[in-house]
Amino acid sequence: MARTKGYPETLDKKLADTRLYEDERHPDFTKTVEKISMTIPHMCFQCGTCTASCPSAPRSSYRIRKFVRRALLGLEEEALTDPDLWLCTTCYSCTDRCPRDIAPTDVIMAMRNLAAQRDIVPVNFLKTVQAIYTTGHGVPNNDVNRAARKKLGLNPEPPTTAGFPQYVKGIQYIIDYFGLKERADRIVKEREG
Amino acid sequence: MHEYAFFLGCIAPNRYPGCEASAIKTSENLGIKLLDLEGASCCPAPGAFGSIDLNIWYAMAARNILLAEQMKKDIALICNGCYKSIYEVNEKLKKHKELREGVNEVLKGIDMEFKGTVDVWHLAELLYDPEICGIQKIRDSITVPLEGTRIAVHYGCHLMKPKKERHFGSTEHPYWIEELVAALGAEPVEYRNKMLCCGAGGGVRGYDLVHSIDITNEKMINLKEAKVDALTEVCPFCQLQFDRGQIEIEEKFGVKWGLPVLHYCELLGLAQGMSPQELALDLHAVSCEPFLEKVL
Repeated sequence: MARTKGYPETLDKKLADTRLYEDERHPDFTKTVEKISMTIPHMCFQCGTCTASCPSAPRSSYRIRKFVRRALLGLEEEALTDPDLWLCTTCYSCTDRCPRDIAPTDVIMAMRNLAAQRDIVPVNFLKTVQAIYTTGHGVPNNDVNRAARKKLGLNPEPPTTAGFPQYVKGIQYIIDYFGLKERADRIVKEREG
Repeated sequence: MHEYAFFLGCIAPNRYPGCEASAIKTSENLGIKLLDLEGASCCPAPGAFGSIDLNIWYAMAARNILLAEQMKKDIALICNGCYKSIYEVNEKLKKHKELREGVNEVLKGIDMEFKGTVDVWHLAELLYDPEICGIQKIRDSITVPLEGTRIAVHYGCHLMKPKKERHFGSTEHPYWIEELVAALGAEPVEYRNKMLCCGAGGGVRGYDLVHSIDITNEKMINLKEAKVDALTEVCPFCQLQFDRGQIEIEEKFGVKWGLPVLHYCELLGLAQGMSPQELALDLHAVSCEPFLEKVL
């Protein structure tokens, strides 16, 4: 029987691209993920209830089940460099339905923490950090809103760090304690110039 | 009068001040006094901060909780995202000694220490709780019943999920917020897949807007089928996603839904006789007029 032209070659290439070897596993990765997430991916039996419950799954290639499996197999590179990692809306539907009492959402959060340690993090996350560092608010006040607040009989600045900016220092202390502002500034600059 | 430190968050005071104004005024009518929590900040956003480093998220949320500890008041809030940060961090720090010590090590630098002396509540659960307020009391406070309107409820995610770390029971088919809606004289309407996420959380709104509003659009399709006059929720971030999201859906997908979206506190305000001006409903991206015409 005639084979499709180039069939064995392309198949070999495809398999070589997706094949994973024992030495690509990092057993420590599994332990670190379990420690940060405080959940138990090793209980996963890959039923797929999580992916079936996921609002992001039907509209992307994001598969939460795959990430739990990666956690379990210690596939650190594959997990942390996959852009789908950032498509979880953290709705916790998978967590509430998991028949093995795992919190897949928290597995994702732990992996995002580990990715961020390697500077793999979308800039919008870092911009929120920058906004909070400056004003204490992720979504800061503006003039339209100030005028509206006034009409409602509210103070134009809410009684938060906006109205009491002396409290921003404490927030900056915490963020600086972890060196996050500096990192956020550096990464945003690298990506956006 | 029950007194609480009112944790505002970001979106309510800075984008939908009507939520803040109505929460304060309607609660007062119901025997709940919401006090300023001076110097509070962003909760901080559980998606953005939690994804980068959970330890910073714990410490930042703890600072907000400690402001209430200093006031010796429990916290009340009106946003599910804030609930995730403030409620969950409070419970986690009370439970896990190691986490608490780590956070206190950081907070030492600003002369603060987490002791775990206050509790955190969503205003919606306080309104539902018969020992604090309860359905009957809400019903008695109504002067403008929202009769003849069909209202759907979006529960949002972080109020009730993950259920293991909450106290609301099953998250598959809750009905208690519908009861709160019925107390206003409106007809609560159920719709397909009502527990589906709004699409905004986890930093996805900022990371991939089209992906995010596609989830919102699925909700809009299901809401349209149920023929509702308005959607209500208990989370200003969900409100932003549904309200401004409809404009974005129109731009990106060419579909116009025109469904008014109101926070439960805003609905309660209307039913207690507050005017649309007192609720700053003109700040909503989608006009609330079609709904207001039915009730006023």
